[in-house]
Order: sequence, then C-alpha cells, then structure tokens
Amino acid sequence: MNAVDGSDHYEAAVEGPSPSLLVIVLDTNPHAWALLAPTLPLSKAIANILVFINAHLAVNNANQVAVVASHSHRAVWLYPRPPSSSSSEDVEMTNDQPPKLDDANKYRPFALIENSLLASLRDLISTTAEKDVATTSTTQMAGALTLALSYINKATVLYSDTTSSSKPATNAIDAPENTTGLQSRILVVSVSGDLAHQYIPIMNTTFAAQRLRIPIDILKLAGDTVFLQQASDTTKGIYMHLRSPQGLLQYLMMAFLPDQMARKHLVAPTQEVVDFRAACFCHRKVVDVGFVCSICLSIFCSPPEGAICLTCSTHLALGDYGAKPAVVPRKKKKKRRVNGGGGDTPSARGTPVPGE
Amino acid sequence: MAPVPTIQGAAGYKKKDGTFSIAQDQKSIQWQPVGARDAEKVVTIAVANITNLQQTPEAAAKVMLKIFEKPPDASESVTHLFHFNSPSNPRGEANAIKDALTNLISALKANDANTPKANGATSAAMAIASAVTSKPTSGPARWYDDAGLKTDIELQQSLMKKDPALHRTYMEARRTKPDIISDSQFNSQFWSTRTNILRAHAVESHQKRGAYNVLSAVKPRQVDGELKMNISAEQVQLIFSQHPLVKRVYDENVPKLNEMEFWSRFFLSRLFKKLKGERIVETDGTDPTFDRYLDASNDSGLDQRLLGLHIPNIIDLEGNEENQGGSRGGNRADFTMRPGSAAKVPIVRTLNSLSEKIMAHVAPSDVDPADPIGMDEETFNALALKDLQGDAAENRIMLNIKEQSQFFANEKSAVSAEAALYAKQVPSEVLAGLRSDVNPMSIGNGTGRGLDLSSAIGVLEESDSEDERKTAHVGSKASLVDAQKQILEGVKARRLEIDGSSAQTSLAGLSQKIFDRLTLTHATTTEFLHHFWTIFLSGDPDRAGELAKMVETLERAMDRINAVAADAEKERDQVIARTKQDILDIYQRTQKKTKWDPKSVAGGEKVVKEMMEPTTRAIQKAMKEYKKALAAEGIDTS
Repeated sequence: MNAVDGSDHYEAAVEGPSPSLLVIVLDTNPHAWALLAPTLPLSKAIANILVFINAHLAVNNANQVAVVASHSHRAVWLYPRPPSSSSSEDVEMTNDQPPKLDDANKYRPFALIENSLLASLRDLISTTAEKDVATTSTTQMAGALTLALSYINKATVLYSDTTSSSKPATNAIDAPENTTGLQSRILVVSVSGDLAHQYIPIMNTTFAAQRLRIPIDILKLAGDTVFLQQASDTTKGIYMHLRSPQGLLQYLMMAFLPDQMARKHLVAPTQEVVDFRAACFCHRKVVDVGFVCSICLSIFCSPPEGAICLTCSTHLALGDYGAKPAVVPRKKKKKRRVNGGGGDTPSARGTPVPGE
Repeated sequence: MAPVPTIQGAAGYKKKDGTFSIAQDQKSIQWQPVGARDAEKVVTIAVANITNLQQTPEAAAKVMLKIFEKPPDASESVTHLFHFNSPSNPRGEANAIKDALTNLISALKANDANTPKANGATSAAMAIASAVTSKPTSGPARWYDDAGLKTDIELQQSLMKKDPALHRTYMEARRTKPDIISDSQFNSQFWSTRTNILRAHAVESHQKRGAYNVLSAVKPRQVDGELKMNISAEQVQLIFSQHPLVKRVYDENVPKLNEMEFWSRFFLSRLFKKLKGERIVETDGTDPTFDRYLDASNDSGLDQRLLGLHIPNIIDLEGNEENQGGSRGGNRADFTMRPGSAAKVPIVRTLNSLSEKIMAHVAPSDVDPADPIGMDEETFNALALKDLQGDAAENRIMLNIKEQSQFFANEKSAVSAEAALYAKQVPSEVLAGLRSDVNPMSIGNGTGRGLDLSSAIGVLEESDSEDERKTAHVGSKASLVDAQKQILEGVKARRLEIDGSSAQTSLAGLSQKIFDRLTLTHATTTEFLHHFWTIFLSGDPDRAGELAKMVETLERAMDRINAVAADAEKERDQVIARTKQDILDIYQRTQKKTKWDPKSVAGGEKVVKEMMEPTTRAIQKAMKEYKKALAAEGIDTS
C-alpha cells in the first residue's frame, strides 16, 4: 500500500502548477460522534470527506492526500496505512469479499484511498476497547497534528528530492516563501470540544505550522475549542463552525477545496472573530486576564499559592499587586477616622478629603 | 584631617626588600631598603608630584602599587613599582597605603588649584586608582535614577520638543486635569509611566558626537563659477587636528592670503584631493601655493608614537613575521597591505590613516593593551586564548519544569459542557453504535463493488423540498442551502474587513478635524485611566483624595467624549441639510426628484460612540470598581 501513497505521481509533477498535499485530521472521538450520530453519522461524514478527497485529487494528478485519525487515546494513520497493520487487515477482510480495486466504474486512485481509509477506520473502531472510551472523553488532537506535520515534512523533502533533477531543489523548510514546491495544508475535522489540557502541545504544533507556512483549516462539526481557532488564525487557515453539519459536503467543497495558491486570489470565508484567550495552567480555565510567570511564561488564573510558580517553582514577586483595589477606600476611611476623630460621617464620594 | 599615624608596609622595589612608608609630615613617601645605611638608596617621592596610582586587582596574587611621579620640571613622568611582599598581610598594607595616599592627594588638589595637572588627567587618574578596588558609584547613574528623571524638567521639555504627539497629549492632559492635583504632582504622574522614554532620551542626548572625516563632510558648491561653502569654526579645528599639514600651510600662508581666499583655494587644490584620498588627474587646476606641499608629510608623528607603544605579542601581527619566514615565505601580501607610497591606493590609505588619527583622539573605554606587561589582569584575560582552557563551568539558571498533568489531574470539577454530555453516555453503547455505523454492510461496500459514494453522501437527486422538511437528513437541500449561506456570509464579512482598511473609510465619515479631536480625547482619557488605576491599586491611603478627584476627571472625560459625539452629530446634520438643499434646488430647477437616503451619510454620534466604546467601557469599569470599593467600606455612593 505504501507504494501507492502518491509516489507514482511524482514524475508528472515537473510541469504545471505545483501539487498540493492535503492532510486531513479526522477527530474520531467516539463520544462526540455518538452525540452527533442523529444529525450526522460518522459513516456519512466519511463518505462526504471521501468525495472531498476525490475532488482534491482530481484537481491535479500530482496532488496527494493523507488522513490521520485523532482517536480518544491515540492518533492513528488511516491513509496511507502503516505497513505493520496491513497484514492484519488481510486477515480480517477474508470473511468479506476482497475489495475489487479494478472496478471499471471507479478511478483507481479513488478506489485505493477509499478502500484503505475504510479498512483502517474499521480497524481502529474494532480495536477500541470499552475502557478506552470510558476513561477519556477527549481526543488526541495534538498528537494527530504532530503526525500530520511530520508527514508533511517527509513528503516535502521527498518531493524536492525527486524534482531536483529538473529544477533547483526547493525545500519548503528552508525557503518557506517558495511557490514551486509541494503546497501542504492541514484540515482538521473536529467534533469534540474541551482541549484545554492539550493547550501547550497544540500551540507548539501551531507555531511549527506557522513557521512552515502550513495553514491549518478547522472544520468544526460540534463542540467549541478556543485553541483550534487560534491555530487556524495564526497559520492563516480557515475556521468554520458549521451551522448545519448536514450540509458538510457543501462546506467542504466551497470553503476548503482551494489550496494556498488559489486562496491568494480568493476571499476566504473564515470566521472573523477569533478568541485569543489562553487556558490557565492551574485550573484549565480559559482566562480573560491572567498572571504570567516571568520565567517560564506559565499562565495562571490567580496568583499561585505563595507566589511560587507551579511549573518552574520560581518565587515570583507580585509587585504592588498585593494591594487589593478595595484597600484604598478602607485605608482612606481609617485616615478619615484619624483626622475626623473616629466618625464615618462622610457619606458622599466627593467629600473633601484633608491632605491632597 | 586627623593626624594619620605613620603607615608603612614591607615592600620590594627593584627586586630589593625594604619598607614603604608615608612620612610624618605627609608631604612625601619613602622607601628604604632593608639594612640600608646611607640615604642614597632611599627612594623619596613628594606627594605633590604623584600624578597617578595603580594597583593590582583585589583578586590578584601579587600585590603591587604603581606610583606615577612627575616632578614639576620634568616632562616625562617616572613610574615606581612597589611590590608588597609582607609575609602576613600584603594586601592590607597596600590598601592602607593607597587609601592614605589617595586622601592626601585629593586634599592637596582641593587646597591648591595650582597643582600641576599633568596631562590634564589627574582626576581621571585618581578615578582609575579607586576604580581598581571598588565599583564606580557616580558617573552615568543619573539616567538610572527614575526619580531624577521624573523631575528633570529640562529633559522632559527637550523630549516633548522632539515628539509633538507626546507634547499634545501632555498639554491636553494638563489642561483637563483636576485642579486639586498640582502641576508637579501631575508632572510626576505623567512621567512615571514614561520613564523608559525619558531614559532613552537622556542617554541619547548625552552621547557626544565624535570626530568625523571632516574633509569629505565639507561640500563646496559651485555657484556661478564661484565656490561657495560653509565651514564652521569646529570644522576648521577638526581639519587642523586631522591634517597637521593643512595647519602648517595655513600658518605659513595666511597672513599673505586672506582667510576666505585660503579656504576657497584650498578646496580646489590638488592638495585637498590628495588629503581626501582622491586620485589627482592632469586636468586638475594647479595652484603654486598649495602644490608646493604636495609631497610634504601629513603626519603628526602618530606612527612614531604607535611604534613606541608596547603591543602585546599575542596581537602583534609583526611579531609573527619571523616565524612564518617573513616576507619571503607564503603568499605575497595583498597590495593594500604592502608598505609603499601612498600613491597606489590613496583612498584606502587615506581613510586608514584618518581612522587611526580619529581613534587616537578617542579616550579608550577599555584598558590600554599597550600598558606594560604584567600590570593588568583584565588585559591578560582579554588576550588569553580561552578555547584552549577547556570548557568553562556552566553558568545557567536551572529551570525546573514540573509535569503539568499533575496539577491538572486534581481539577476534575471544572469540566466543559461537552465533557459533561460525554460523561452521560454509556461507553458500550457508544462503541456499539459506532461499530454498526462503520459496518461494511451499512456503508454499502459489502457488495464487493466498493463504496457507492453517490448514495453514501445522502444527496437524493429526485427529492423535492416538500419531503425534506419532514426528515432532515445528511445532504438535504435545506442543509446545503444553509451551508452555502453561511459560507457566503463569511466571505462577505471577510471582504468587508479587507476593503475597510483604506484611509478614507477609517475615518468612518468623520471629518479630519473631529477625528483629530477624538484621537486627542482618547489619548488623554487613556492617560487619566492609567493614573486612576495606578492610584487605585497602589493601596496608599494618602492618595485617596487624589483618587476621588481622578474619578471626577474620568466623569468629565466621559462628558468630553459626549461633546465630541455631539459635534460630530451636528456636522453630520449639516451635511444632510446641505444635501437636502441641493436636492431641493435640483428639483426646483429641473423638476427631477433625486432619490437619496439620509442614512447613507456616515459619521455622526453613532460612529463616535462606536469608536469610543472600549474607552467608555473602560471608564465605566473604573467607576464601578471605585464605587464597589466605596460600598465595601459602607460609604453611600448615591
């Protein structure tokens, strides 16, 4: 299967527009999909995504695609399948008829991807134990993004190697501005919210992607995560929270199909208000105003106990902060007592105060 | 000054042991070799003649004191080097003597203004002597002192002169400040938030401009065949100091030529070109007065001085010459490096020698490496080949990072809405549902023909909208239409954002005048908000009165915003009235009705309010906090 992962397309990539690599991160959090099932079952979503993948591949025959599942307890490759799991697939498929890939009614690359994707998805679901589902309610988004980034890196190096004979090697990592190399982007199909505990790894992958100029598009079917918004904003990707998840295909085809080259000339339908808040490290709350450790930049929603940073144990000085706002009038009153001989006669705010 | 007890210490001088002491009358110091009988070998130095003191650093193993003596009639100073070799406490003895000497010398200086100031650097030398043992405490500390900066009116004035925007904000804020706050209080408050700008300005304005290549800076202009130029007295000074030859020519010729003529002819002469390093060409005019000096040396004896200096071997390029076979071995030096006449690469040579001269006039900020060997630890350290000494000890601050999941784990209470929903689900059911969903039969590729995508995506070609209302399914027309709508809304919003960034629309229909007023109002309001929070959070009871006044000012700031809004509204009304009049005029003339919507006129109160909304909110927040704090004290706020 590995031989199919697009390497046969390389020869054709010499001329014409530069090919693009689309890495789809599919959030397969069982909890979230179970909730979503009445409106949009996973199988239908997969079908829609497959149509989208086919459209992406049809744009340019050198285009590549990869799919990562961000499952509840691990991140797994769905396509291309890792070599080790392909043998087990054969065993499992024996009770069904082996898929006929030479269907005359289907473009072979489409059939290959479809087959592999479905097989590995079934694999993933069947190997998910009940206790995995019970123990966690989130998804390994950070891990999946990391897998996607590393795959993009590999593909970029491979691409610039194979094309170096005809044109100067352009490594997207060295020259992020290049327009001739492989254009990579990441599409996250997200269904679960609550990623606050992965705040740091997600922000790390976000900044890596920003550096490599890889846009991270977010297609939000359900839930809401602040950090994915920030990820798409920093990487200049598209963020869409679907109002009607049943029209998934429409969204995919209209908003997410153009690659970076095309997007330069288009107005992207991204959400314009971005929530830039961060999660505090102490209670995972998303905070408006917080305290930042000056040494390790950890964020806290309230000054940590004893002003000692939870992360790096640095003793922090809070400056004048200790003087709580309410202190002023209280002391003022005290002062008045001193001056006025112990009466709280002053009633109005504009009462003249002795001194300055 | 209290009588100083005789201070003495065991010290070696010229490899002989002896005793170093300060005489009873404190006018001289003397060194007596051990067991000396005749007075001949005694070294005596008058304190008045001491021009400099140097001491080895505190940490150095050897304790030495170097005394520079310059008798009034001598031209060169003599140095005496005493090596304190007392077996018990050489450092203590040396320090005692040095301190005593320092006191004596400074007392002498204070009393006697006529003290010969050798090299004009006596006080500087003293500073060096004390700097050896202690860190300098005075000096540029002025701009590290926040309080000093805040009260330096002159500095603030000059900064505001440079930054008109700051000046405007300052004036406006001062104009509208509450009366109870005095000017000086306001001043210190205003500048307390800007000490960094003040400091930068202080440092910048205290930097002295050094010498520069003056000849290339003077640009004579040819006006009507006549040479016009402006040279200042300083420039003439610089030319003389950089080019001694010009000084000589001037000395020898100026009584004959008049000043003006001398300079104008000089700037046309071949000599000028030569000094500047330009190539002399045949077409250049000749001038017998100046051409005489063409071959004269423009050297002020600097080379001689440089040669006379001691250059540490480690940075002495010439020192290597014998090891690499001198001129015979290796590649020939680059032609710019070869000794020879200046005619070859005049510009390079001229610039090099000029740089040398300029550098020679700059007081060295580091220790002169040309000082005698063994005198200075720092120089030695600077010259040591550090990479041969192995790895230096790591000088890092350890950052101990704790595993973050640890302090997440105990916080299960704050779960998001989604997580709460997830928790209600039964894992087995979740999994079963998912499994049946991705079952090959249900997806539809159990037939062995692969997935039929056109049916799987759920779009029903034949379905009409009537049926769909009953059962919304994936890919239903209604959902697709809604999706399209959302996408187009997003595109529209984004397009507005892209188009809305031009300068004209950023005014949002306000006139430039109103907009400027608004900007200024905003700046001052922000300034007062800043002051409010500073005082409010300071917890200083003495400033409570000030705080109350500040709140009043904020209320007035609110009024000011409203005033601007009202003016903007008036302006908008005028525009509307004018347009209406125009339409009426057109109608009366041509009987044609023009369609026009007054709503299309932008600007007015609404825009101002929109622009100032964050500020307004900030003010309200400040007031609320203040009232809350008052209420917490049981004071009626109504």
